[in-house]
Amino acid sequence: MTKGKLRDLSFFLSPMVLMVFLFYLVPLVMTIYISMTRMRNWNVDRYLTEFVGLYNYERLFHMFQHDPTFKAVVMTTLVFVGITLVINVFGGLALALATFFINERPASSYRLLWLLPRMSPIAVYSLVWYYFFHGSEIGTLNSILMSLGLISEPIPWGQVTPWGAWSVIIFVNGLVGVSFGMIVFTSALNQIPKELVIAARVDGASSWQISRRILIPMIKWHLLYVLTWQFLSLLTTYPHLFLLVQWDLVNRDYGTTLALYVFNTAFGMGEQDQGLAAAAAVILSIIGILGGFVTLKVLKFEKMMKKPRGDF
Amino acid sequence: MRAAALWLVALVIFGVIASGCIGGEEAKTSSAEVQLTGDITKDLVEIGKVLEQNGVKEVKFSAWGSGDPNSVMRVYGIVEAARRINKIWADNGINVKIVVTETHYVASFQDAYKEYLSKQPLGQAGDFFVNSYAFLPTLADEGYILDITEYAKTYQSVVDDFYPSLIEASKYNGKLYGLPQDTEARPLYIRKDVAQRIGFDLSGLDEKVKNGEFTWSDVYYWAKKAKEEGAAEWGLIHRKGSAHPDLIQFIFAFGGKLYDPNTGKLVVDVPAVYKWLYVEWKFARDGLLPEDIMSWDWAKQIHPAVVEGRTLFDIGGTWYWTEWQTKQYYAKGGTPRGLKPEEVRDWFYYTLFPAGEKGDKPVTLSQPFVWMINSKAGQLNPKYDELKDVYHKLAFLMLIKASDPDINAIHSVISAHLPVRKEAAKLIKDEKWLNDLKALNLDLSDEVKSNIRDIVQATVNPINAQFLADVSYMLEYTHLAPAHPKYPALADIFKEAVDKVLRGEMTPEEAVNYIIQKVQADPELAQNVEIQGEIPKDWKFPQG
Repeated sequence: MTKGKLRDLSFFLSPMVLMVFLFYLVPLVMTIYISMTRMRNWNVDRYLTEFVGLYNYERLFHMFQHDPTFKAVVMTTLVFVGITLVINVFGGLALALATFFINERPASSYRLLWLLPRMSPIAVYSLVWYYFFHGSEIGTLNSILMSLGLISEPIPWGQVTPWGAWSVIIFVNGLVGVSFGMIVFTSALNQIPKELVIAARVDGASSWQISRRILIPMIKWHLLYVLTWQFLSLLTTYPHLFLLVQWDLVNRDYGTTLALYVFNTAFGMGEQDQGLAAAAAVILSIIGILGGFVTLKVLKFEKMMKKPRGDF
Repeated sequence: MRAAALWLVALVIFGVIASGCIGGEEAKTSSAEVQLTGDITKDLVEIGKVLEQNGVKEVKFSAWGSGDPNSVMRVYGIVEAARRINKIWADNGINVKIVVTETHYVASFQDAYKEYLSKQPLGQAGDFFVNSYAFLPTLADEGYILDITEYAKTYQSVVDDFYPSLIEASKYNGKLYGLPQDTEARPLYIRKDVAQRIGFDLSGLDEKVKNGEFTWSDVYYWAKKAKEEGAAEWGLIHRKGSAHPDLIQFIFAFGGKLYDPNTGKLVVDVPAVYKWLYVEWKFARDGLLPEDIMSWDWAKQIHPAVVEGRTLFDIGGTWYWTEWQTKQYYAKGGTPRGLKPEEVRDWFYYTLFPAGEKGDKPVTLSQPFVWMINSKAGQLNPKYDELKDVYHKLAFLMLIKASDPDINAIHSVISAHLPVRKEAAKLIKDEKWLNDLKALNLDLSDEVKSNIRDIVQATVNPINAQFLADVSYMLEYTHLAPAHPKYPALADIFKEAVDKVLRGEMTPEEAVNYIIQKVQADPELAQNVEIQGEIPKDWKFPQG
C-alpha cells in the first residue's frame, strides 16, 4: 500500500476507528478490569483499586455449579436466543416476501403495522402483554378463552415452567424483533431487478418458486447479516424480560437470561455487585464473539467480502 | 495577525490571574466552627451567623423520598423544616435562607434506593433521603450517608422521645445514621361480615391473640370454614413481592430468629422457616390462599379481593386503612370507588399477627422509614469545602426540625403510619388538633398545605385517628428484620421459596433445602448466613 493511499485511508477511517475505540474497546477493557475488582454499589472511589484477580469468575463458577436456578438461566438463554432468532429471521423474511407480492399501498400499511411494537415505548408495550398474558381472569387471553368456554380455570401462562414462561418471552420479543428483518429484507428485495420476477412469471413460476429460486438466493447476504446481528442482539437483550419478570408475569427462573442476570446483578436490589456482573458480562461477550464468529464461518461470510468479479 | 492573537491570549491569561487575585480577598473564610449545644434556636442562630459571615445568603438542599401518595410528608416535612428555620433566622435578623430546590418523590422505595445508590457517588443524589431502614446498612457501609452519632448526643432529649426500637433501627455498627420518620404495624385484618356468617365470634379476640391462645391453627380452622360454607372465596389473602417484611413475620411468630448478634451473621432458622413454608403450602393446597398470590395484581386483585369481602383474613399494613379510602378498589356497585371511613371501621377487625403455635407469641413487623443525610449534603452550596461541617450540622438540625411532633403527627394521620415520637402519639389523640388539621388551620407553609390539602380532606377524621390510637400498642410486639447488607438478598430467596410452595412446585421440605442450597451457592452470602436447626420431625399443622 502506498504512503498516500494509507494517508487517505487513515483520514477517512479515523472517525470510525476513534468511535470504535471509545465506545467499544474502552468499555470492553473497563468491563474486564472491573470484573477483576471488588466493585459494588457504584463505590468507585473505594473499590476500583481493590484488585481481586479471578475471584469474581471463581464465584460465578461456584454459583453455576451449585445454584439450583442457574441451570434454568442457562437453558433459558439457549432456548430464548435459539427460537427467537429463528422467528426473527424467518418471520422477517416471510413478511418481506408476503408484502413483496402485493400492491405497494396495502404492503406499506401492513409493514407499518408490524413496526408498531418497535415504535411503542418498552414499558407500554410490555404492560400490554402483561395484561394480555396475566395468569388470572383479569388477563385478556384467559378472559377470552373462558368466555368462549375453552377453559374453565385461568391458566398462569408465564408461570407454567419451563415452556409457558419461555413461550411468553419468546412471543413478546419475537414480535418486536421480526420487524428488523422485515425492513432489511424488504429493502433488499426492492433492489432486485423487477425483470427477473416478471420473466419468471411469464414462464409460469409460482410466488413460492420465485421466492425460492430467485429472491432468497439473491438476498443471501442480507439473511446472513440479519442472522448474525439478531443473534448478538438477542444474546444481550433484556428490557422486556426485565419488566415481565419484575411484574411476576413470567417465572423468575425461566424468564431470566444471562443478559438479564448481568443486569440484575449490577443494578438489582440490595447489594449491587458490579464486579460479579462484569465477570458475567465478560463471559457473555466471549459467548457472543464465539457465536458470531461461528455463524460467519459456517455461512462463509468471507465470500461476501471478496472483490466483485465485475461480471454482475 | 499572529501578534494580535498572541496579545489576546496574553490578555485573557492576565485577566484570569488578576480576577483570581482580586477575588482572593473575598474568598477568605471566617471561622467555620460551630459547636452544637442542644438548644436548637441557639444552634441555628450560630450556624446562620457563620453562614452570613461567609457571604452565604442562600443554602440549597434537596429532599428525596418515596412511598404511597398519602405519604408525601416524607419530603414536605423537610420543606416545612426549612421554613421554620428560615423564620428563626429572620426573627434573629440573620439574612440567610434555606431553599429546598427539589422534592423528588417516587412511588417505589426500591427504585428510589437504586437511584440514590447510582447517583450518590456522582454527587447527584438528594441531600436528604428518606427510605426503608433496610437499606441503611449498605448506605452506611459505603459511606453514602452521614454518621450523626455525635450530633445526636447533644439532642439526646429529642432522640429519647423516639421509640427506642426505632432508634435502634436507625443504627449500624452502633452508630446512628438517621432519625426515624415513620413506622407501621402489619395487622391481621378480619372481615367482620364474613366472620359473622360462619359464627366466628370476634369479641375479645385481640386479647386471645395477645395471650397466644389464638394461633395460626385457629386462623386455618376459620379460613377453612369460611371457604367450605361459601362465606368467602378465600380464607386468606396476603401481600406479594419480596417476603420482606410481611411474610417474614411467620419466622418470628414461630419463635424463630433471623439474626445472631453474637456472630453478626444472618440466620436461616430451619424449624421456623419450615413451619412458615408448611403453613403457606397447606393453605394453598386446601384452596384457602391463592397459589399464584405472588403474581397477583395489587390494584386489580389483591386490594379488591379484600375490600369486597372475598376473603376472611388479610395480612396487610396499617396504611391499608387510609389507602382503601383514597384508592378506588371497591367495584361491587359497578363504578370503582374508595371506601368510606365508616365502612372500613364497620367491615374490618384488626389484631396482631397471631402466634405460630401454642407457646409462641404474637408479633408484628415494622419497616421504619428513616430520614438520612447524604454524606455529601450541601455540596452544591458556596464554600462547601470550608463550610462542610456547618452544612452537615445544619442538615442535622433540619432533621430535628422535620421531626417536630406536629409534622410527624400530620404524616401519621394522613398516611395511617404510626408516629415515631411519643409527643406525636399524644397529638393524634387531641381532638382539637385534629379539627385544626382538618381545616388546615396549622402553622404550615402554603406549599405544604397545598400539597396535602386533598389528602387531608380524604383522611382526617376521628375514625382514622382512633384506628391509629388502637393499633399503636402493636409497636410493643414489633420485630425488625436485621440491619445487615446481605439481608435483602436472603429475603429474596425466601420469597422464591414461598412462591414455589404456594404453587405446589416444591414441598416445604424441598423448599427449605432449596433455600439452603441457594445460600450456599453464593460464597459471599454463605459467609454471612448461618443455617441453624433441622426440619422438625412429625410436626403437624393445624394443631389442636
